[in-house]
Amino acid sequence: METLQGILSAHPFFNDLPAPHLETVTGCVSNVRFKAGDVIFREGEEADHFYLIREGKVALRIHSERRGPLTILTLGAGDILGWSWLFPPYRWKFSARAIEDTRAFAADGKCLREKAERDHDLGYELLMRFAHVVEERLEATRLQLLNVYQDQ
Amino acid sequence: METATLEKVLEENALFKGLKEQHLRTLVESATIVRFEPGDVIFEEGEPAHRCYVIRSGKVALQLESYRVEPFTLMTLEEGDIIGWSWLFPPYRRKFTARALGVIRAISLDGRQVCERCEQDHDLGYELMKRFAQIIENRVEALSVHLVAVEK
Repeated sequence: METLQGILSAHPFFNDLPAPHLETVTGCVSNVRFKAGDVIFREGEEADHFYLIREGKVALRIHSERRGPLTILTLGAGDILGWSWLFPPYRWKFSARAIEDTRAFAADGKCLREKAERDHDLGYELLMRFAHVVEERLEATRLQLLNVYQDQ
Repeated sequence: METATLEKVLEENALFKGLKEQHLRTLVESATIVRFEPGDVIFEEGEPAHRCYVIRSGKVALQLESYRVEPFTLMTLEEGDIIGWSWLFPPYRRKFTARALGVIRAISLDGRQVCERCEQDHDLGYELMKRFAQIIENRVEALSVHLVAVEK
């Protein structure tokens, strides 16, 4: 049977993560499932997890006073969901809702944050990876914004 | 400006608060004093990114531009703010244009040197990545809010 650590190590996000760190991360991970329509997290709530989507689709939404929830991005298999557990005030900036039945690994971000604070080698590896995820999100949002402007 | 003064300026910046003295000294080794005149382009979207800037005085417009689109200002940054982080990730190109709205006094840090130091010293790497990831996250949030405001 494939081990959890084996599955995680095959994911690009954990590429080249030294084995002891991968072991630490694996210890903070569990399997989760969401049904289509389930809210995974809500804007403003305490952010204590991140998710590695294995199957399904998740809409990342932001609340607009004028028009209610707006989807800014759809994530699917292989994508990383959630980074607000990394920074104060540790609250979600967006909401996430499963738009298909979704399987994911959920990692306890609070537990990892505390471990990273004690072990800066682990912390550096994780932050480099998450900063990159945030940067990819920035690029996606930037292109989306440029598209909207070009269509107007 | 004397090294001691540079160190003091960095130390007093909110971003670098809490850094150990040895880490501050490492950053000072990569730091130079720069000045921009009103209207100067500090860096331009798409060009190679090598440096970041700690603003000491003056206001800087962070703008987005692309063909067919009039440049628009995503946010205005000022004393104490940091601009420029694209030197952290491939393809090491600017995502925004930074334009001086007045006389700008700033400290410029050499991104490549900072990256090398972070690789060598994960204590420094952890502390800096935590801070820079938050800057990128702040830009994602600004882009998202903007997107929600303009999307039909």
